[in-house]
Amino acid sequence: MRTDLSPRLRVALYGLMCVLLIPFVFPTWWMITSSVKPISDIFAFPPDLWPRRFDFSTYQRVFELQPFARQYWNSAYIAAIVTAGTMVVSSMAGYAFARIKFPFSNAIFMIVLLGLLIPSEVTIVPLFQMFLGWGMINTHWPLILVPIFGAPSVFATFVMRQFFIALPGELEEAARVDGLGRFKIFWTIALPLAKPALGAVAIFTFLHSWNLYLEPIVFLSSTQMFTLPQALTQFTDAYGGAMWNIQLAAATMTAIPVLLVFIVAQKQFVEGLAHTGLKG
Amino acid sequence: MTDHSAAPNQKRPFWTIARKDAAAGFLFIAPQTLGIITFVLVPLGLVFYYSMHEWNVLASTFTFVGDANYQMLLRDPNLPPVLLASAIFSAGLVVLNLSLALLLAVLLDQKLKGIVVFRTLFFSPVVVSLVAWTIVWSFLLQANGGINGILAVFGIEGPNWLRTPTTAMISVVVVQVFKNVGLNMILFLAALQGVPKELYEAARVDGASPFKQFRRITLPMISPTILLTSIITIVGSLQVFAQIAILTKGGPGVSTTVLVYYLYQQAFQFNFFGYGSTLSILLFLIVAVLTFIQWQMRKRIVFYEN
Amino acid sequence: MAPVSLHSVKKTYGDVQILHGIDVDIADGEFIVLVGPSGCGKSTLLRMIAGLETITKGDIRIGDRVVNDLEPKDRDIAMVFQNYALYPHMTVATNMGFSLEHRGASKAEIAERVKWAADILDLSHLLDRYPRQLSGGQRQRVAMGRAIVRNPQVFLFDEPLSNLDAKLRVVMRGEIKALHHRLGVTTVYVTHDQIEAMTMADRIVVMHAGKVEQIGAPLELYDRPANLFVAGFIGSPAMNILGGTIEGAEFKAAGVTLPLPAGVTATGAASYGIRPEHFQLSPEGLPAVVSLVEPMGSETQVTMTLGEHLVTGVFRERVAARPGETIHILPELAAVHLFDATTGQRIN
Repeated sequence: MRTDLSPRLRVALYGLMCVLLIPFVFPTWWMITSSVKPISDIFAFPPDLWPRRFDFSTYQRVFELQPFARQYWNSAYIAAIVTAGTMVVSSMAGYAFARIKFPFSNAIFMIVLLGLLIPSEVTIVPLFQMFLGWGMINTHWPLILVPIFGAPSVFATFVMRQFFIALPGELEEAARVDGLGRFKIFWTIALPLAKPALGAVAIFTFLHSWNLYLEPIVFLSSTQMFTLPQALTQFTDAYGGAMWNIQLAAATMTAIPVLLVFIVAQKQFVEGLAHTGLKG
Repeated sequence: MTDHSAAPNQKRPFWTIARKDAAAGFLFIAPQTLGIITFVLVPLGLVFYYSMHEWNVLASTFTFVGDANYQMLLRDPNLPPVLLASAIFSAGLVVLNLSLALLLAVLLDQKLKGIVVFRTLFFSPVVVSLVAWTIVWSFLLQANGGINGILAVFGIEGPNWLRTPTTAMISVVVVQVFKNVGLNMILFLAALQGVPKELYEAARVDGASPFKQFRRITLPMISPTILLTSIITIVGSLQVFAQIAILTKGGPGVSTTVLVYYLYQQAFQFNFFGYGSTLSILLFLIVAVLTFIQWQMRKRIVFYEN
Repeated sequence: MAPVSLHSVKKTYGDVQILHGIDVDIADGEFIVLVGPSGCGKSTLLRMIAGLETITKGDIRIGDRVVNDLEPKDRDIAMVFQNYALYPHMTVATNMGFSLEHRGASKAEIAERVKWAADILDLSHLLDRYPRQLSGGQRQRVAMGRAIVRNPQVFLFDEPLSNLDAKLRVVMRGEIKALHHRLGVTTVYVTHDQIEAMTMADRIVVMHAGKVEQIGAPLELYDRPANLFVAGFIGSPAMNILGGTIEGAEFKAAGVTLPLPAGVTATGAASYGIRPEHFQLSPEGLPAVVSLVEPMGSETQVTMTLGEHLVTGVFRERVAARPGETIHILPELAAVHLFDATTGQRIN
């Protein structure tokens, strides 16, 4: 459909896209600007697209009301470990399913794929009981172990397998002739070539862990252990009403770093996702 | 011809090349496979097991009740509205999400300057923390929030979005669509760009209008992607939890109580672990059936597959 | 350098037998070409020598070792792949030195060997490039460089020229031959192109449907093909083969009677083979109706109908005939090949 467009059509398309952009961009804008409004201005009429008065104390209050730095650290380190762990587990499994001949490999792959079919919500009750039995409730272990080894990493394994299947077999044969064993082939040939796929897996996994909500509220009970998504919903006054400006300040701090990383590396993000095994 | 190959086939070592390789294969898949067994298959079995028990957490009793939980499921007056809400949510989400994603992908596929900026912005909600995104929308959708404020500037009195059954459902669907449509948009864009240009050139030579080109060439060529994204989106829609928990808490009434949220309430708010497990089984069956149907439809819908 | 011997080598995949017992002895320093149509098992056989495929039955020896159960790396062989298999994420120099690196060679040693190989192959100015920055011919040379740095006992080539254009193929053919002449390493070379086989090999192994049809020097195969398959496969344009019967000193084919060389004792049904260049224009010859004349400059290729058979002739003379006209041709009796009608084996 890529044809040269007439100038008039061009203007119309730009206009259409700008209108469509509003619901995508405005919420983020509203979040940032409202986070620095004093509470009295937050529901001002008519709405202020730019704060008429600034109140930066909201950002300070975030840290007073919650152990927010600690919660930030919880989310960050859990996401980092889960991302690294998933990259290891899924690249190994994806590689073996794609390239190594071993008995029952297809049957085992099918079983692993079941993980894609079974939403983690289905198994949350027994998982809770299992971790309770292991004394891991109100620890971060469930948020680390399940994503790395369980259902969420299956998607990563699938992406890696699709990538490794497309890798020319001759490269590995050349490596075998050159004197490499399986582990070295994996490490020095297959993995370095899989950087784009690994990048996509890392992005997906990080976002998944960073956004996790049901699992933390099921597994964690003390504010010190909370992760960010869970902490964000805790900014309420004595009557359970939302303290909007403070909550939005916390939300801004949660959203902006990832958003900035995305804007800097948007090419890798978007193209990584587009070109990794997901195409039909 | 006689066979002389009985010749000295010396004793082979046990660790032949093939066996060593197979061992390496098992080692490579071990973490993932053991993880799936531990964190998916065993829990799945346990869900079945729990669903046949009455589990009183406070009295710490755990008694076998056979199919009583399933009987309860059939009689549960809340279940029909919950399933209806789930169906409305999923259907609305899939239709809106896929059509918007396709529209955006077609727009982004045009030769326009600065198109990357638009692509980046349309995709940006995907990387915004889900809970943060939902909180902002919750803020915007309050009765005296930003949306009604803007509407009032134009003299329109907006509804109390999250407290009216119809608008509450529309709200949760729309919030979710804007959050994640960027993913499908990118997949569609990649698919569009993968359609060979010669096909369009041939169609233009044949005199097909742009609309006809889209219907007869673009849609069939990207049909595998449409199928894939629709599976991902439907399965994803059944897992929606944070948005409901933050925006409506399932209300008003049970109008936005989707199955996952109901499951969470039963198991973790009311501590009905046995009944919660029964609901898990129901969720599992729904996902399995939907995936199976879509897989079957592949033969009829997908015109082209490589 | 080492001889290679294949003894009753068999390969089966499940129920399908790919190789039905191959026996070949390759002398030290010899350049052997395995040639045959696609699916004949030649690549599988090469990969079995390399250790990339398991051996179902039989033995493969390199030097005096049976290598059946050895890993490729322990067989002291080097292989050049059809698509070169250069590591995309490594420079030319790293690609070439990679095998040495994994055999514990010192950095200085690797650098020295890589330089040596690069000088031979005229790659010295490309050592810091990545494979994607090279032309097809350059990649081909890097693949060869990677094979020679290690000084292996045997070189294995798997259709290495099939991705190059026709002109470059001729150039690389010469380079590989020159390299073999210089290094004298035992070489096994697989191709489906019989011209490559003819021009490069010391000896050719013609394979068909998992069996060896004939082994011999190129001209031996050309001059005395052992059976109909080899007769038809070697030579371009292909040998003319006419079915018919031997009756005394004559060969009766459909619509035409051909003379036979003296001393033919066989009788009955047979196939009569004659290469295109072994027809001569002669006024006393057999009449043939011309259907196509293709002047090549140095020679002229004529397709014509002899009796009821379509045959091809290649003549040094320029043939002025037009389609539909009749010319007279005579087979050279010394160059006539006769094959048994049922077994396809040579009978003269």
